[in-house]
Amino acid sequence: MSAPATAVVRRVGVRRTHLGGFFVYLRTMTLFALFWAVVSWWTDNTILLPSPLAVLHALVALAGDLELFQHAAISLGRMVVSIGLASALAVPLGLAMGLYPLFDRIVDPTIEVLRPISGIAWIPLALFIFGIGNALPVFIMTYAAFFPILLGTILGVRTVDRRLVDAARTMGVPQRTIVTRVVIPAALPSLLVALRVGVALAWTAVVAAELIGAPSGLGYAVEWYRELLMTPQVMSFIAMIGVIGYLCDAAVRWLNRRFTPWAQAPR
Amino acid sequence: MTAAAKLRLVGVGKHFNAGGKQDTVAVDDLTLDVRPGEFLVIVGPSGCGKTTVLNLLAGLDTPTHGSVAIDDRTITGPGPDRGVMFQDYALFPWQTVWGNVEFGLRYGPAGNGLDASAREARVRRTIDLVGLKGAEAKYPNQLSGGMRQRVALARLMANEPEVLLMDEPLAALDAQTRIILQDELLRIWGQDRPATERRTAVFITHAIDEAVFLADRVAVMTSHPGRLKAVIDIPLARPRGDATRALPEFQALTQHIWSLIRDEAYRATVA
Amino acid sequence: MNLDHPVARIGIGLLLPALLLCAWQAIGMAMHNPRTPLPTRIVAEAGTLIASGDLPRALLQSLGRVFAGFTVAAVIAIPLGLAMGNARSVERNVDPLVETFRPIAAIAILPLAILWLGTGTAAAVMIVAYAAFFPLVVNTVAGAKNVNPTLLQAAATMGLKRLTLIRTVVVPAALPSIGVGLRIALAVGWTAIVAAELAVGAKAGGGGSGGIGQMMFIFYAYSIELNRIIVCMIAVGLVALLLDRLLRVLMRAMTPWAQA
Repeated sequence: MSAPATAVVRRVGVRRTHLGGFFVYLRTMTLFALFWAVVSWWTDNTILLPSPLAVLHALVALAGDLELFQHAAISLGRMVVSIGLASALAVPLGLAMGLYPLFDRIVDPTIEVLRPISGIAWIPLALFIFGIGNALPVFIMTYAAFFPILLGTILGVRTVDRRLVDAARTMGVPQRTIVTRVVIPAALPSLLVALRVGVALAWTAVVAAELIGAPSGLGYAVEWYRELLMTPQVMSFIAMIGVIGYLCDAAVRWLNRRFTPWAQAPR
Repeated sequence: MTAAAKLRLVGVGKHFNAGGKQDTVAVDDLTLDVRPGEFLVIVGPSGCGKTTVLNLLAGLDTPTHGSVAIDDRTITGPGPDRGVMFQDYALFPWQTVWGNVEFGLRYGPAGNGLDASAREARVRRTIDLVGLKGAEAKYPNQLSGGMRQRVALARLMANEPEVLLMDEPLAALDAQTRIILQDELLRIWGQDRPATERRTAVFITHAIDEAVFLADRVAVMTSHPGRLKAVIDIPLARPRGDATRALPEFQALTQHIWSLIRDEAYRATVA
Repeated sequence: MNLDHPVARIGIGLLLPALLLCAWQAIGMAMHNPRTPLPTRIVAEAGTLIASGDLPRALLQSLGRVFAGFTVAAVIAIPLGLAMGNARSVERNVDPLVETFRPIAAIAILPLAILWLGTGTAAAVMIVAYAAFFPLVVNTVAGAKNVNPTLLQAAATMGLKRLTLIRTVVVPAALPSIGVGLRIALAVGWTAIVAAELAVGAKAGGGGSGGIGQMMFIFYAYSIELNRIIVCMIAVGLVALLLDRLLRVLMRAMTPWAQA
């Protein structure tokens, strides 16, 4: 029969595109670096556009004396604290709003009034309240991550399959256990998707907050080196912002796979 | 000839109030007894209110008229004495096969008085009974329709409810799987045992041959509004199997029930 | 009491905001400090700022930048996304670039933008364009790839050319997804412009960049007028809300078949 044959062909094909994908990635990025090198050679201005090699050099030096990692660790630490705080506030509130319609009607308008005001718009007021330091970026990031996590939790609770609750009721499972063993697991995929959005928004906010109102962190470092007109260092820290942002997203995706394996697309 | 009714519906009506307009009558003036240990199948065209009847028996819904009782106690809500198997199974997607089967024993009253090892033994036995050995660690989305159906059946049986309520559990399966699972269902229900040791079962379907094959009695319902039209005895010998399906009596009963429903359907189209 | 009655619903909804505002007003008044932000003072300041034309002017300046950056992003991202979604080779070669730069927050680019383009409008537009670019590309690609293959086959059996096929089948089918991208892009762009103007105000010594973000920063840095800062925050929120509603209405008009 042809079925096994197709299966074999498909498996070989997958491996080839997988390897090929890596080479294509390298090729694209090499072409990009070459293009960048040519433009920088042509503009011939190390402040405006240093060569890729100069940036690489700066990156290695910053990594060597650990400055790169110190600022990254500070930003990452703020991120972890903020996501923890935002989750601790938003998840219980979202559960309550999802489970009790009357509570939802009381609280929802206040949430909807605050939600369109972006975390970044709070920076001037937060500067006045907290001053420059750790509290400001943590507040801004917590605020930014709060709303997606809240909405994801509410959505998750509201869209729980009614029949799953019925199934548990017909087994005589008590109400409280239904919440912990049916509603919360059923809401988890939606919550974790929202967490991903929250993490992305918080990361955008941390850079803005540190740029303006913190004495440390990646955003601060970028701005510090800009004022010194040390562009290779500026670009190194920008790259680090991208790397940490990517790693945070990968971490949440890993959490998704680890804790909601049933909600992943079938392989 | 038999003891008092296990389940008793007296003058049951269920009206839905659709947005302030005229009432929709899902079930009208339904009186029906289900005897202890009997396999009763409710058959009827879609819209005849058969799922509503099952929800009323399960306690997931309350009647607007009449009363629904189990052992002469009025049913006021769902309870572990009546287990339900839902139409598309309602398996917990975050639980493995094992976790789904264990759910009621672990979190509900069905597991009261069972220690961890007794619970494990019961789950083990039930999983083996429905033929799911080896699939314990899989999630429902990794299983075929027939396998999911087996998990739902195992989850139902593990709680050892007095009454089994099943809402078109085989409707989503292909024809071959369906026939195999009809046989399995009767085996697991206990058709090999004496009638006094069987559980009471109420089974909903729209497939007439399925109804005749499974049932001790078939309750035929008609739609708009949902009413009981007839209750037909199925005197086919148990245990039943492929040979039963070939019997002339089987064909005759199927034809008879079809004629009842066809008349109703015909009247509905010209009314 | 019927809680589902429309009047009851609105009443319940207004309960908490009204309570919070009253508490704020009462506590603020008890502090006897003329600078303490109070709801009544905020309303008064809003009136002043609107009447003087300062607030509308700043908002319009920021909005202009957002639309400029948004347009630049859309003009590049939508055709690119369609090409990526329709041709596997384009996607494979361009995707690494998109995925490499996507995790870099737009605000992080701001120091470079200031370096290259100064503290004026051009840098702000660049930030918005950068921020809006990624959600647009990603959603356009997703929309173009998720076109029901049967539709493509149906069109192909009618002998359509590739470009005609894209114009008549792929684009309409991808439009709802592109619309989602546009909404996200506009929201992200509006956040980015406020951040960019704030940062320029904070770091570039208040050079004449203008806009609502810088206006907020000036109220903070030079006079600490909290009431006025809050007026600006509310304005930022209102504009965000209006932009979203506007785009939603627009998309509903453009893709009536995709509405529930």
